[in-house]
Amino acid sequence: MSTYWKDYFRRNGMALGLFVLLAVMVWMLVMIILPQLYMLDFSFRTNVPPPQWGTDTHTYTLEHYRYLLYGNVNATESFNYLDLGVFGRTIIAAVFVTFIDLCLCYPVAYYLAHVAKGGWGRLMVMSLIVPFWVNELLRAFAFKVMFGTGGVINDALMWLGILDQPYDFIRENVALYSGLSYAYILLMIFPIYNAVESLDRNQIEAARDMGAPWWRIHWRVVIPHAKPGITSGSTMVFMLTAGALAAPQILGGPSSLWFTQLVYKWFNNSANWARGSAYALVLLVACIVFVLLMMRIFKVKLGEIAR
Amino acid sequence: MTSDRIRKFFVLFFVCGFFLYLFGPLIIMGLTAFNSSAFPRVAPWECFTVEWFDVLSNDTRLLTGLRNSFLIGFGVVLFAVPLGLAGALMLTQVRERVRPWYYTIVISPILVPGVVLGISTLLFWDRIGVMFGASRDSLFYNGFFLTIIGQSTFIAAYTMLVFISRLQRFDSAQEEAALDLGATHVQTFRKILLPFLKPAIASAAVLAFLASFENYNTTVFTAISTSTLTTVLASKVRYGIDPSISALAVSIVVLTVLGAAIHEVFKRREEAEARQAGLVAAGVMERKSTQKQWFLEPALIMILLVFIAGLGTAFFAGTMGVEECKVAVREQKRIETQKRIEELQQRQQAERAAQQAAEEARRVERSQRTGTENFNSIFSSDNLQPQAGDTAPATPQSERAGTENFNSIFDTQNLQQQSGQQEEAPARTGTENFNSIFDTQNLQQQSGQSEGQSGGQSGQ
Amino acid sequence: MSADVKLEDVWIRFGSFEAAKDVNIHIQEGEFFSFLGPSGCGKTTLLRAVSGFLEPSEGKVLIGGQDMAGIGPNKRPTALIFQNLALFPLMKVWENIAFPLEVRGVGKAERRKRADELLELIALPDQGDKMVNELSGGQKQRVAIARALAAEPDVLLLDEPLSALDLKLRQHMRTELRAIQQRVGITFIYITHDQGEALTMSDHVAVMSQGVIEQVADGNTIYDSPQTAFVASFVGENNHFQGKVTAADGDMVTVETPSGVLRGRNIERDGKPQLAAGDQALVFIRPESLRFVDGEKKRDNVLEATVERQEFEGNFWQVFLQVKDCPRVVSLSMVNDGSSVGHDVGAQVKIGCDAAHAVALPVGQMAAE
Ligand SMILES: Nc1ncnc2c1ncn2[C@@H]1O[C@H](COP(=O)(O)OP(=O)(O)OP(=O)(O)O)[C@@H](O)[C@H]1O
Ligand SMILES: [Mg+2]
Repeated sequence: MSTYWKDYFRRNGMALGLFVLLAVMVWMLVMIILPQLYMLDFSFRTNVPPPQWGTDTHTYTLEHYRYLLYGNVNATESFNYLDLGVFGRTIIAAVFVTFIDLCLCYPVAYYLAHVAKGGWGRLMVMSLIVPFWVNELLRAFAFKVMFGTGGVINDALMWLGILDQPYDFIRENVALYSGLSYAYILLMIFPIYNAVESLDRNQIEAARDMGAPWWRIHWRVVIPHAKPGITSGSTMVFMLTAGALAAPQILGGPSSLWFTQLVYKWFNNSANWARGSAYALVLLVACIVFVLLMMRIFKVKLGEIAR
Repeated sequence: MTSDRIRKFFVLFFVCGFFLYLFGPLIIMGLTAFNSSAFPRVAPWECFTVEWFDVLSNDTRLLTGLRNSFLIGFGVVLFAVPLGLAGALMLTQVRERVRPWYYTIVISPILVPGVVLGISTLLFWDRIGVMFGASRDSLFYNGFFLTIIGQSTFIAAYTMLVFISRLQRFDSAQEEAALDLGATHVQTFRKILLPFLKPAIASAAVLAFLASFENYNTTVFTAISTSTLTTVLASKVRYGIDPSISALAVSIVVLTVLGAAIHEVFKRREEAEARQAGLVAAGVMERKSTQKQWFLEPALIMILLVFIAGLGTAFFAGTMGVEECKVAVREQKRIETQKRIEELQQRQQAERAAQQAAEEARRVERSQRTGTENFNSIFSSDNLQPQAGDTAPATPQSERAGTENFNSIFDTQNLQQQSGQQEEAPARTGTENFNSIFDTQNLQQQSGQSEGQSGGQSGQ
Repeated sequence: MSADVKLEDVWIRFGSFEAAKDVNIHIQEGEFFSFLGPSGCGKTTLLRAVSGFLEPSEGKVLIGGQDMAGIGPNKRPTALIFQNLALFPLMKVWENIAFPLEVRGVGKAERRKRADELLELIALPDQGDKMVNELSGGQKQRVAIARALAAEPDVLLLDEPLSALDLKLRQHMRTELRAIQQRVGITFIYITHDQGEALTMSDHVAVMSQGVIEQVADGNTIYDSPQTAFVASFVGENNHFQGKVTAADGDMVTVETPSGVLRGRNIERDGKPQLAAGDQALVFIRPESLRFVDGEKKRDNVLEATVERQEFEGNFWQVFLQVKDCPRVVSLSMVNDGSSVGHDVGAQVKIGCDAAHAVALPVGQMAAE
């Protein structure tokens, strides 16, 4: 036994040391690493009925990834424009939603951290958490209620005379995008709030004394300081939005599919688990690439993102 | 200075808008739970009712799902809290060089999409089941087991973060002191570390339960045939929209608010303790033995008051003639519709008379003209004329087949046409693409529908 | 009961860093033994090896003649008082003190009784039901001692327990600690970087530098006959002059320095004189040994100097002088007997001391100023 383990057990004792070691091993291997690896393997295999899994007929193939790219073998199109389109739309929409959330949250976070001080400010910060206590599905439902043809928004717009007939927000995906922006907005505002709050007020004062206009103060002082918070918030919002299933299912128009819905479809409606796995893996890889990109661009560490 | 004031005003406006965006949807949804309208809406407020809660409490599928969600939630607490604790304890002990890797691995489930976790859990345990030759009704194919495992994968990472932040304040010399004084490792853990971690354990447990309770993305794959609250809810919301879901939302919000309040109690107590310890250590103040949660208590009392008030209102409203109100609303609606129809008819008749007069005058004029009849201006009264003819066959001019697509919504002709239809077949579902809110047909149709539906509901 | 502690050829390494190098010490049972050294020299590390939180990379730790290898801290007859005390904040004072009994399964009534006795011993009666945070710094200190004593150790290890206290309290606690040690009669191993503490309280002092034990002796010997340049420069104030040994006769040497010829004692180490003719040497003269030489009285060592500055410190004067061809300022201290120093700033003077008060040592590493 190496000195490391000797030390480890000296520190923790036998019983406790074994428990911690075992628990961590189970969590890391059995729950995190092995399932992902198995899914990776599974996505490269033919779609055979479950009894034949692991038998000789369950051979390796690239067909599922090929399908995502080119569609059916005898398809007329050269690419699988439908699924690729869904993938592209999901990623672009997730980026868009993330951006919207960022634009919404930054001013509010700054306001709460540096303008609204005292009891009111604290109350406002506390109350930010409230919507997060509500289930994601119900948050989506609330938007369905609001944006429906007989919903409050339509009623209000028509009452104001802006619209003269109900607008189908659901079909046009307005409801979906607002719902998605809403769903994870708190994961954007809190990291930014925490980061902005830790900024020393004197720095802002100093910049103001030197005659810097307000937008330059933000650009040169506040935003650089809040960078870790912004990165962390953006990453979380992007991941959750791209991986969202409930909101698109509930708020998505009839024509629009979210990429997770395709995964869901392969699993539940088409019973093609292998293809579902392949699609899920593509989503996973896209998310990992995004996180790495964010870490590279903004030079932050993972520890700063997941907090 | 004025530009400064304008900016300030603008910012305030923005912040207010933000909070409206944050709370508006929830408040509106909450209100719809108490409106007797069969469609979740607040705008035409009909009657205050708690019948949707009744509907809810009779929904067996939902109740089963709720029970399962509770069981799974407890399972996840039992599973994810120890895992998270172990993960946090391990973090300080792994070698410097492997620590970033270790952290990346255990934190990754938070960043992996929920559907991916669900799928991989499902597949992996299926494979294990096959390896052991387990039967289809064994653990490896059990929705409870799989969901608990699948959810714990990432919830353990949440709880780990809770423990890490608490452990950062732990003076590990205390553990050494206990050992040095003769305690065994287990005694040290039980008597020193656990009491210190107690608030963190409580808050991690609450967090784990809430996270499990509201999880959908992972559960929808791992639950297999087991129904949980979220899966039932999802199918309900996807395939229909009805105020009992709002009622469910209200119930859940109330329960979660209570849960979250408890969570907050633990967190605040812990923070206050830390703050005080810091102050005492810095010699700023003496420790007060009776510490008061000055901020928390009013908040808790408020929450409780609102809760009680809500229950009270619901109770009284429930006992105070909802039925009469509904009947009254129905009657009112009927009368209103009737009135509107009559009004319109009168107006149309008057217009028709005026038109006929104008027609007479024009006929004289037209006889002098050699112009073709293909004249399409919407302002042309020619256009109006043939349609009026359709609905009023008594008018002599029927030479032309009116094929014009005419879409002005303020066109009285249109109104007339429809009101005509209505007289013939009031129960018909109109297939016309006609969307004016002033459309009496629409109004009537909907009130008819809601009557039918609420009738069906109260029949349950 | 009491026990002796023996460190034999102990090396402690963290990776490639050596925190203790070939340490050999024998601490007698029942004595008050101090480790003295600058911050980071490895004092805590040695103590942790004795209490069992780490195993020496090489060598042995023996307590009461028994090899401690592989015996955990909870099985050793030692109790450690931590640098930051490490009291349990979630327990009451008496529960803290009774903790060692609790883990041994002693009943509650018995525990309470014993805790009250110990509270009596540390002069904190009736404070048992307070929380730890409600105590003052000095009281916490005493509770930590009582808690350690409750474990009935053969050896009590104290890691700079007084460093967090203010000066007055520290002085009070010194006598208190010494009194407690004499009452309970067990071995105390005490760590400090405060030399006053080490010299006043201890039977023996070990001076450490960078993981090496420089000298082990009683306080007087350490102060008057330092064996290495480090000890001479670390313990107390000292002036030093570098030069070459021209003659070594018996226990005295003559050293030729740029400032003049100085005679001093040739201190033995391991029973052998350290200097021989031709060696480079450092001559150490303490400020209180230096006197102004007024002509009639003869001194062994005389140096020419200019008064640079004078400081009044209450019970003594501190005079700083520029000595001919000496790069450092030399200091001289005079007891304040009511008269003035007698020499104005800028005055040309002669200073000197007896050879018995000068110490000649081989050139070696010095303590940081
Ligand atoms: N676990 C460790 N890993 C690596 N180096 C260590 C470890 N513990 C101590 N050291 C190093 O060993 C040296 C001695 O440390 P030690 O704590 O014994 O100093 P000390 O004499 O007690 O100082 P102080 O008076 O400041 O308490 C230091 O340089 C320290 O950095
Ligand atoms: Mg130390």
